[in-house]
Amino acid sequence: MSKYILKRVILAIVSIVIVSAITFFAMNLIPGGPFNKEKAVSPQVIEELNKRYNLDKPVPQQYVLYMQNILKGDWGVSLNNGRPIWPDITSRFAVSAKLGFSAVFIATIIGVILGSIAALMRNRWPDRIIVFFTTLGTAMPSFVLATLLLLVICLQLGWIPVFDADNPNYILPIIALSVYPMAYITRLTKTSMLDALNQDYIRTAKAKGVARSKLIFVHALRNALIPVVTYLGPEIAYILTGSMVVESIFTIGGLGSAFVTSINNRDYTMIMAVTIFLAILMVVANLLTDIAYKFIDPRIDFNN
Amino acid sequence: MKKLVTLVLSGAMAFSLAGCGSSKKTSNANATKTNSDTSTLFINLASEPDKLDPALNTTIDGAALAVNSFVGLLTYGKDGKLKPALAKAMPTVSEDGKTYTVELKESKWSDGTELTAKDFVYSWNRAVNPKTASDYSYLFDVVARAANSTDANPVLDVTAEGDYKLVIKLNAPTPYFDQLLAFPVFMPVPQAAVEKANPNGDKPGAWAQEAGFVSNGAYTLTKWKHNESMTYEKNNNYYDAKNVSIKKLNFMLSADDTATYAAYKSGDLDFIDSVPNDELKNVLKSKELKTVDQLGTYYIGFNVNSDLFSGMTPEQATSFRKGVSDLIDRKYIVDTVGQTGQVPAGAFVPKGMHDGNGKVYKSNYFDATKTGSSNIEQAKKDFKAAGLEVKNGKDKSSFKVTKNGQEITIPYMINTNTGHQKVAECIQQDLAVAGIKVNIDTEEWNVFIQDRKDGKFTVAREGWVADYDDPINMLEIFSTKSGNNDVQLGKGNSTAAPDWKHYDELINKIYSSTDNAERAKLLHEAEKELMATYAAVPIYFYNDIYMQKSNVTGVYSTVFGNKYFMYAKKTK
Repeated sequence: MSKYILKRVILAIVSIVIVSAITFFAMNLIPGGPFNKEKAVSPQVIEELNKRYNLDKPVPQQYVLYMQNILKGDWGVSLNNGRPIWPDITSRFAVSAKLGFSAVFIATIIGVILGSIAALMRNRWPDRIIVFFTTLGTAMPSFVLATLLLLVICLQLGWIPVFDADNPNYILPIIALSVYPMAYITRLTKTSMLDALNQDYIRTAKAKGVARSKLIFVHALRNALIPVVTYLGPEIAYILTGSMVVESIFTIGGLGSAFVTSINNRDYTMIMAVTIFLAILMVVANLLTDIAYKFIDPRIDFNN
Repeated sequence: MKKLVTLVLSGAMAFSLAGCGSSKKTSNANATKTNSDTSTLFINLASEPDKLDPALNTTIDGAALAVNSFVGLLTYGKDGKLKPALAKAMPTVSEDGKTYTVELKESKWSDGTELTAKDFVYSWNRAVNPKTASDYSYLFDVVARAANSTDANPVLDVTAEGDYKLVIKLNAPTPYFDQLLAFPVFMPVPQAAVEKANPNGDKPGAWAQEAGFVSNGAYTLTKWKHNESMTYEKNNNYYDAKNVSIKKLNFMLSADDTATYAAYKSGDLDFIDSVPNDELKNVLKSKELKTVDQLGTYYIGFNVNSDLFSGMTPEQATSFRKGVSDLIDRKYIVDTVGQTGQVPAGAFVPKGMHDGNGKVYKSNYFDATKTGSSNIEQAKKDFKAAGLEVKNGKDKSSFKVTKNGQEITIPYMINTNTGHQKVAECIQQDLAVAGIKVNIDTEEWNVFIQDRKDGKFTVAREGWVADYDDPINMLEIFSTKSGNNDVQLGKGNSTAAPDWKHYDELINKIYSSTDNAERAKLLHEAEKELMATYAAVPIYFYNDIYMQKSNVTGVYSTVFGNKYFMYAKKTK
């Protein structure tokens, strides 16, 4: 297993380097620049800024310099506001992670429960209701859901303030973030649970007189969770990096908006940082998912 | 089962319909709902500001934060007029108009240290230093350079005589110099803090990147949750602290106008600087909606070197552009897209600007309220003068213009924005009357501004909001060397482009003029020359809207869009 992990870590580093190189050269190909303003900035100012941030050098050299700095742990400063990138990203990530983990946790618990209920009560009324709401949950775009929550809960009912600087309320953004994965997990669980329940070993267990609860939780559910785990890995990485739409509607300083605003501003250092950050999260999440398989499904053998 | 699904669906529908119904009812009730904390003002201007260093700020919302947390020699009063701030009185100006002497009040930085004339000398020299890379450093171009000044290390001819007297030498009389003294880039910055945060000289704005930095204005930033909120608290060392009654300014950092409008309606905000376009018509009659004229012009820029004018003489190209201008229904655009009482523009220099000689600058080149369909005959004449073929249509309301027998297609470049899209569609319809096809090309903002500056367009939407109240700020942008001369006047070799040498000479003359009456004449002359090209076709003059709860008074805004919150009062 340790050999397998080592191999995966080396592969992960290679992937991150490739992702960073592609991003670096691609972002330099997009027209526009970080110091473009509607009111023209004098050539002297542009020259000074280009010099300050190494943008006066050829792009390959810039990339090498950038990667050297990254290896030293220096993520540089944002070209847009001059603030150091690392504290900015980590504080944004702290917010996104808090929201993301809560959302995934809720989505997984409720999704697995609802999916199991739907599978066990197939074609009966609880199943129908669950199918209706999961279809709605997967079909509704997050900006519609988030706006709806804002208008109904904050404005109509007045239960939660739209803006409270001292006590920001994270309930609504967590709901907005969790609905889609919850609906998806419900559907996944239902399908794989149904699949598991029709397997021969379940029939054998039933014939041997295994208790129903044990049958469901130990035998069926454990197998049914494999696709859910596969989905959860990348989903966690995705949700942890925030959502531009939800952050914008609920005024949250998360990581999601950094992706979009950094590209709009051609904030090269920020684009690179968020991309590398996401790439690292993705490979780590995938690695953890693969390791989790081993525990859920002992048939999986890393040596082969 | 079917019954159950029907029940659930109808329940959901009833819920959503009930939501719609009550939304209308409560929206009016909510209009006056306000936060009960009367010592704090809850505000939204925009999203996270990029830079809070007044020398490095470039945005209008950043300038609004600057005027509330820093103060210079002069400031704007509620009447929109300049008044002394850190200066004891308005500056005394020498007879030749080139030496300004300012006596300073005794005042302190927010950390209690004395603020003296030396702070101004340091701050201004810092702003012009290329290492600071301040976008607005060009505003100091009117200030003379000292004998020891070099390009790499410029030194202004500004001296501190004692602690409280500042002597400023200018290159030429500058009628708008008083205004510059109230501009953020002319505000003082605390030398010790600036230098401590930037020992290597490569992080000039580092001192003001987090809450807690020293300032000298009515408020200091005490809490900054990036991308969420900012809290400013009253600075007791502010020179006019006794007149500041609001203790805290709490800013919601959001550019999502649905969210900010919801926060305003729910009473979580007292002040919002924008209203969602779809909601505008609902609030137009509200007393909480305030409209302030801005010194700025929305216009259409023709690239004078574009292929659209190939084979034409400069005069013909001008007539073509004038024909297009004739057909654009400005009043319709203002009424249906702008909606907030913008004024259709018949000149480039905005209405209400002053001429630098004590008078309001007045100019009008056509009746902008009557362009469009009522102007068809004039447009036909202009298109004919442009050497184009004009054929009458079936009725008087349409005709067909062709160039060498070919249909004319104009690519019109805008940036992604609903408002600009709507204006473009209006123009598309207006020109369809003459059989001219308008293709709307939408570009992402950063690409758009780059293409405009590089002249990679045929026709583009344009806009310019003045930094100070003087027509030179509107007209200078069309001089050949200006980086804002998007319409490429004086650049390129097209035979259809007008000769632009005289205009450049005029701008230089205005800058070096020593007689304000003469200067005002030159300004008119320059605008006339610009308008005669129809390269910049004015559409309307901007205005600025904001909403403020009825229990809040005393907030005011200038023609540059700066909002002053320090003299606000809030009742229950």
